Amino acid sequence: MTHYIPDPVAGILLVAVIAAIALVVRQRRAARALRQEIDGLRSHYSELENQYAQSVQTAQERADDATKTVLKSAMRTLQGLAAEQQLIVSRLQTKYGESVILQDLLEIDHTNSQFGRRAQSIAVLCDGWLGRQRDVASVYDVVRSAQGRIRHYRRVEILSQVDFGITSRAVEPVALALAELLDNATSYSSPDTVVEINIRTVPKGICIVVDDAGVGMNDEERARAEKLLSTERVSGVAGLGNPPQFGFAVIGVLAERFGFEVSVDSTSPYGGVRAVLLLPHDLLTSAPEQREPAPVLPTVATTASLGGPEPALGGTTTADGLPKRRRKRPMAVVPSTPSAAPAPSLPPAAPAGASRRSGAESAAIMGAFQRGTQSGRATQADTDMTSSTRGASSEGHEIS
Amino acid sequence: MTGYDELEPQTPELVRPYVITKGRGLPDEDQLSLITLVTAVADHRQRPTRLSPEEQNLLDLCSAGYLSVAEIAGHTQLPLGVVKILLAALTEGGYLITRPPVQRAPLADRDILEEVLNGLRAKFG
Repeated sequence: MTHYIPDPVAGILLVAVIAAIALVVRQRRAARALRQEIDGLRSHYSELENQYAQSVQTAQERADDATKTVLKSAMRTLQGLAAEQQLIVSRLQTKYGESVILQDLLEIDHTNSQFGRRAQSIAVLCDGWLGRQRDVASVYDVVRSAQGRIRHYRRVEILSQVDFGITSRAVEPVALALAELLDNATSYSSPDTVVEINIRTVPKGICIVVDDAGVGMNDEERARAEKLLSTERVSGVAGLGNPPQFGFAVIGVLAERFGFEVSVDSTSPYGGVRAVLLLPHDLLTSAPEQREPAPVLPTVATTASLGGPEPALGGTTTADGLPKRRRKRPMAVVPSTPSAAPAPSLPPAAPAGASRRSGAESAAIMGAFQRGTQSGRATQADTDMTSSTRGASSEGHEIS
Repeated sequence: MTGYDELEPQTPELVRPYVITKGRGLPDEDQLSLITLVTAVADHRQRPTRLSPEEQNLLDLCSAGYLSVAEIAGHTQLPLGVVKILLAALTEGGYLITRPPVQRAPLADRDILEEVLNGLRAKFG
């Protein structure tokens, strides 16, 4: 019996071992299945997550685009209105140029320009309309145009000029970008300081340097400004903060689109920010001709040699069709003889007229004078009562 | 939207008049009237380079002799008041001389004339 005893034990053990193996195998299989399931779930989850992020991004882009479109067309309307109003104000300024209303009209004009610039800036951020194309303008005029678009334009001083023009395509964007720079410069410096503009010629083109005497920018602001001025900026009006800071974003977009460079990373000699706008040669041309009429000096010489009474009317006109007035140089010396009337601006003509008078004419004048004094000294009062001294002098001329 | 260009045939001036005047106020009427005569100071060498093109242009216009304010305004394309402001500033800077228009002879006092007439009548009449 004893040799039977291990058998059941061995059998039980065997069964147990088999059962254990089977269990382990099953467990392992189950675990593998679970792991596979988890992997599957995980990949599904990440897939879902990606899709979600994607759809959120698409929705955001769509919303941005919608905002941009709405803002773009709204700004287009506002810009149109601002431009129209500017024309009306210009017309009024010409019409009421003589009166004191002009002062108020200039104020309105200033406010309107700022209004137009705001609309323009938002339009630029929304890839919108920049405004009507301008004619070629001198760098100096473009700088002054920018100056006129900010609130504190009186604090801006232009210290130098150059003989260069800006191509018509770049006039408006450069003016707008510079206006944003000037706006920053004047808003972040104290009201009694001056913002200086220097225009310099450099080998790469022209630099417009804006120096303010403000407190400058800290590192964070500088980093933000540089990011907005570089190409890695976010497009659109989102992320400009509240209140929105358009300046650098607008400048960044314009600089990239029209090919000029703006940097704000240096310090001005007055402790504030030095902003430099670099215009490359392909945005520059020669200076445009002045539209105002040229000095009138040479025409005086030509008409004076003609002589004759007042022939100059219609002979010379200015560029805008106004007749040029011949100038009589010595205003005080007006020739009094109506018959002769030589060219008044011709110096040799005057002695000629005088010598002609020295003949019978002057004798007659002297005679009249003498008669006048005689009649004055005469005792018969009745004959002289009617003639005043003025009458006597005119009498003398009539006789001659 | 395409109708904009037809509606606005002209573009507004690039440089606005208030920038040209640098925000200065209008001068007094008795300082510069329409018929005030203006001429440039004879010495051209003291002319600085920091004048704006408009101011240079005004100086050139005035350099040939006396011109009235109205005439100067006619030659420029600027509103009259703007020209006046610039002329006043140039005069203050010593680049221009203004000459007030010739005063009309003041009317004599009527009472005095009557008294003289009465006196003359009493003596000779």
